Amino acid sequence: MGLAAAAAAATEESALSQKENAAISAALAAATCSLLGTTIPASVDAQETADWDFNTSILYYGEDNDRVKDYSVKAIARRMFVDDRSLSLGMTVDVLTGATPNGAIRQDVPQTFTRPSGNGFYTVAAGELPLDDTFKDTRVALTANWQQPVGETSLVNVGGSVSKEYDYLHLGVNAKIARDFNQRNTTVSAGFAYSMDDLDPVGGAPAPLTPMLDVGDTSNRTGDKDKDVLDLVVGVTQVISRKLVAQVNYSYSYSDGYLTDPYKVLSLVDGTTGDTLLRSGAIPVEGGPSHQYLFESRPDDRSKHSLYTQGKYYMNGKVLDISYRYMTDDWEIDSHTLDLRYRWPLAGDHYIEPHVRYYTQTEAEFYLLSLDESQPLPEYASADYRLGDFDATTLGLKYGWKTRNDHDMSVRLEWYQQSGDVPGGQIIGNQAGRDNYPDLDAIIAQFSYRF
Amino acid sequence: MKHTILLIAVLCCAAGCSSMGVQPWDRDILAKAEMQLTTDELEAATDDHIYFSKEASSGGRGFGGGGCGCN
Repeated sequence: MGLAAAAAAATEESALSQKENAAISAALAAATCSLLGTTIPASVDAQETADWDFNTSILYYGEDNDRVKDYSVKAIARRMFVDDRSLSLGMTVDVLTGATPNGAIRQDVPQTFTRPSGNGFYTVAAGELPLDDTFKDTRVALTANWQQPVGETSLVNVGGSVSKEYDYLHLGVNAKIARDFNQRNTTVSAGFAYSMDDLDPVGGAPAPLTPMLDVGDTSNRTGDKDKDVLDLVVGVTQVISRKLVAQVNYSYSYSDGYLTDPYKVLSLVDGTTGDTLLRSGAIPVEGGPSHQYLFESRPDDRSKHSLYTQGKYYMNGKVLDISYRYMTDDWEIDSHTLDLRYRWPLAGDHYIEPHVRYYTQTEAEFYLLSLDESQPLPEYASADYRLGDFDATTLGLKYGWKTRNDHDMSVRLEWYQQSGDVPGGQIIGNQAGRDNYPDLDAIIAQFSYRF
Repeated sequence: MKHTILLIAVLCCAAGCSSMGVQPWDRDILAKAEMQLTTDELEAATDDHIYFSKEASSGGRGFGGGGCGCN
């Protein structure tokens, strides 16, 4: 073989090996694609056209003794785009029914109250906790958020929210930026949310500390109200080890405007017996309150500070999630919240997750069980149990699994219980023998499906 | 006094942060879905909203659960 022939053969051989290489590459690509269950053009497509992910749930929240019940449907749809950009759209529909404490205290005789609309009345039996059973509402809430990376290490998220109830409209905007440092082991984030809410109470908002009037008398009603809320959050998330990540957030919240609950009253009581004063004068035939009740009054601003910390620790497949929050505000409410979840994997992508939450708060400085007739009226007063001194415990269990097509499903059942105390100094006369704080028991049941 | 302790804690944490953490190839566990700080956004929002409407505190994890005239 001459040199030229040898060179030609070598070229042929190399061409053949190139062909072989190409064939092997193609076969490998095909095998990889068939392993992934897709074809080459489809995978190219998948990168260019966006995918939607859905997170959906149905929820039942029910309090005992015919108090508040909420049937809720929620969904978040997320569309991923190239370069880690994403759009999230959320929707919640709540259907609420049931009765809620109106703030008045129990009496040994029946009590009659004018409905918030001023168009009727309801009666509460002797010895029973006064509950307003007018409560019926449907709430629709929508959210939209856009998230995208900025540069190599930052992520920006901007969004808006709107929600509507019969007597309430909320409009809000929010933005958050997070930046990674230290090989993405440290993330510093900062965000704000601003909401502008309009309240249109049924029958009009009553003037603070004015009496509940007869059916049809709306002379103390003042119409619509509004409030604005500014929230600021700064936080640090830190990877501590291969199995431990922790977060610390500080948040500040400032509310300004009408912060009173237009449907809540306080009983005006005798300074010695502690019994609610009867109406002076005859109750009209068409109805009116049997006793003297004054509408509550709260300050028109509130600042809250909170410190939140969370840790997640991986232990051979199990995950421990602990968080603690301390909150303090200028209404003199301090609260502590401790939350513990333990995710325990079971065979075949199933898991079980017990949950314990403990919450405790002190009462607002203007929280009062009742108004003492022998004392001058305070500027602010509320008997709302949510501003009282109470502890709450949640016990829950969640069971989750992956479906055959790799979707996530879970069910959880939780029991929430509140138990409170009225400060001893506020108890007058006969009130000592009564159950003054409206304790609460509720069940939360939720089914979630992610696909 | 409370604020001073807080400030010292934050500074110590910030100083310590630079020596904490893992290499990019050691993120297998941290990348798992169950190791994200919020594993289920919808469940977290549900809880925030329930507790916002029944307690005098809200937020912490993020912006918390408001936008309702809850009774």
